[in-house]
Amino acid sequence: MAYFSGLTDALRMTFVQIMILSAIAVVIFLYGMMITFQKWGAGVTGYALEPQEGKRGSAITFLKTWWNQVTEESHHGHGKPLLEVLILDILFQRRILKRSPLRWFMHILIFGGWMTLFALSGLMFAVEMTHMVGIELPFTPYMFREWLSLPNYIFGYILLIGVLIALVRRLFVSEVREASIMYDWVLIGVVFLVTISGFLADGIRTGIIWDFGLDPSIAPPAALFHSVISLIFCIAFIPFSKYIHIIAIPLALLANKGGE
Amino acid sequence: MAKREPSISTKNLTAVQLMELDSCVRCGECVKWCPTYAASGEKPGLAPRDKILRWRQYMNKSYGLKAKLFGPQEIPDEELQEFKDDVHGCTTCGICSTVCEAGINTVELWESMRANLVKKGIGPYGKQNMFPKLIGQYHNPYMKDQKDRLAWVPEDVKIENKADIVYFTGCTAGYNQLALAFATSRVLNKLGVKFAMLGEDEWCCGSALIRTGQAHINNVPYELAKHNVEAIQKRGAKKVLFACAGCFRAAKVDWPRLLGKELPFEVVHVSEFLAGMIKEDKIKWVKPVNKTVTYHDPCHLGRHVGVFDAPRYVLSHIPGVKFVEMDRVKEFQRCCGAGGGVKAGIPDLALGVAESRVKDAVETNADILSSCCPFCKRNLMDGRDALNVDMVVEDVIELVAEALGLETK
Repeated sequence: MAYFSGLTDALRMTFVQIMILSAIAVVIFLYGMMITFQKWGAGVTGYALEPQEGKRGSAITFLKTWWNQVTEESHHGHGKPLLEVLILDILFQRRILKRSPLRWFMHILIFGGWMTLFALSGLMFAVEMTHMVGIELPFTPYMFREWLSLPNYIFGYILLIGVLIALVRRLFVSEVREASIMYDWVLIGVVFLVTISGFLADGIRTGIIWDFGLDPSIAPPAALFHSVISLIFCIAFIPFSKYIHIIAIPLALLANKGGE
Repeated sequence: MAKREPSISTKNLTAVQLMELDSCVRCGECVKWCPTYAASGEKPGLAPRDKILRWRQYMNKSYGLKAKLFGPQEIPDEELQEFKDDVHGCTTCGICSTVCEAGINTVELWESMRANLVKKGIGPYGKQNMFPKLIGQYHNPYMKDQKDRLAWVPEDVKIENKADIVYFTGCTAGYNQLALAFATSRVLNKLGVKFAMLGEDEWCCGSALIRTGQAHINNVPYELAKHNVEAIQKRGAKKVLFACAGCFRAAKVDWPRLLGKELPFEVVHVSEFLAGMIKEDKIKWVKPVNKTVTYHDPCHLGRHVGVFDAPRYVLSHIPGVKFVEMDRVKEFQRCCGAGGGVKAGIPDLALGVAESRVKDAVETNADILSSCCPFCKRNLMDGRDALNVDMVVEDVIELVAEALGLETK
C-alpha cells in the first residue's frame, strides 16, 4: 500500500517503511527510557538510605520506590487525593495557573494541541491497521483522514498559538531570555519546527494558506520530512532532552501528592 | 585500565528525587521567591533551579547514557566544593517547593544533597560541623549542662511528675530564650493545664543535624528521637506541646521517620492547643494588649507541616490586639533567615534575610512582630537591630501571657 509521502513517485514510502521508521523511533524511546529509569533507579529506596553495595541502578528499583511513595501517607499533611492530583494538577495544570495565568495559557495550548494531535494520529493509525488486517469498517482510511482534517486544523492552530507565545516569551522577555540555556532552546525550537513543518506539509498538499506558492509536487517530501522529524523529536528524543518533563512531572506530582 | 568511578554517588538521594531533577522545567518561579538568593544580591549559584540543573548534570555525567557508553565523566572537586557552599546557602524554608510547578519536594532534595556530600567528606558549612559533636556529647547545641534543663523554672510554676501533657521546651527556649519558656509554663498553669516536663531527660530534637545533612553521623538524631520518645512515654504523656517550631517539625515529621513508626502520643504546637481552648471558651483574658500586631509564619510550623491558622486565631482573640498581615504570609511567607543551619553557618546571609523580613513587617506599621518560634525571634531581633527599627519582636505565647496578666521574666 502506497503511503502519503515520499521523495518522488518512484520513491514513495510504503506503509511498511513508515512503520519501520516508527518502530525505530519507539525502540530508541524505549531504550532511552530504560537508561533514564536505570539512572533514576540508581537512587536509594527511602529517605536517608544508602544504595546497596555493588548494586546498579535498575528500572524496577525506580518503579518500586515511586509506587511506595505514591501509596505511603505523607507526614507533612500536604497530601491530596490522587484523583485530584491527576485531574487538577496533571491535566488541568493548576500549579502553573496559580503562578502565571499567561504561562498556564501558553502551556495548556501546547499541551492540549500536542496531546490531541498525538491522539488523532493514533486513531488514524488504528484505522489504517484495522484496514490492513482486513477488518471491514463502515468507512475507508481515506474517508477517516478527511474527517480528521478539521480537528487536526483546530488543534494544530491551538498548538501553534501556544508555541508562538512560548517563543515570543523566550525571545523578547529579557528575564526569560537571559535565563535560557541550550536545554530550553532545543525544546522550544524542536516543537516549533515540528509544528511549522506540519502546517507547511499540509498547506503544500492542499494549496490552502500555508503553501506559500510552493509547487504541490514537493508535498510528498514535505510530508515525509514532517513525519520523520515528528517521529524523531516527538518520540525518540523524549528521554534525551527537556521533553522528559512530560513523563517526569506527572510522576513527581503523583509521588508528592500534588506537592506542597 | 580500571574503569573510572563516578565522581558522585547517589547516597541519600532517593530514586524519586533523582527523577525530580528531570522534572524541573526551569520556569524560574523558585528564583523569584527564594529569600537567600534575594538577600545574597542574587548570587546565581543560590537559585534553586541552578542547584537542580547542576546536580542533574552531575547525574548525567556519572550515570547517564554517555557515562554508560564511555564511562563516567569526572567532576572537579572544586566544582563540588562550590556546589556544597551553594546548597548550604539555603534556609530550607521550602518556598521553592510551594511555588514549584512540578511539585518537587525541594526541602528534602537539598537535605539529601547535603547529606550526600557530607558522606563524601564535602561539607557541611563552617561551624555547622560542630553540631554532631556538641549535640552528641551535650545533648544540646549550646554546650550547656543537661542538669540545668530546668534551671530557668521560676518558683511560681508548677510542674507535675507525670501528666497527660508534656511540655517539650527545646534547647533554645530552655537555655537562651527564656521568656518563651516562662510564658508557656505560666500560661499553662494559669489555664489549669497540668503538665510534666522532661528536665534533664529532654535531649535536643535533632533538627539542626537533619537540616544540615549530618543525620547519619554516629546516628545521633536517631538516638535523640528514641531517647526523647521513651522519656515522654515515661511521663505518661498522651499529648506533647511544643512552643518551638523547629522541635515541633522534628517531632512531627523527623522522629517517626527516624524511628520507623508512628509516635505513641499526639504532637501539638502550643498555638494549636491555645486555639482549641479559645474555641471551647476556656480562656478568660485579664487585660487587653492594645497594640497592632503582625505575624511571621515560621517555615517549620507553616509550610513544612501546614499550621497557619492557629497562631492567627489566637492573636485575633487577644483583647485589644489589632491584627495586620504582611504582604507575604502563610504558604508564601518570606523566611526569617535562621533555618537550615544558615544562622550558624552563614550568619551574614541569615541577617540579610532577616532584614528583608523586618522590612515586610515595618510596611504594616505594626508595633509588634510576633512569631511562634524562638529561632525566628532571635534572627528577627537581629534583623531589627541591624536596621535600627523601633519594633518589638515577641512570640505569640508571650502576648497570650501578657493578656492573661502573667510575667514573662
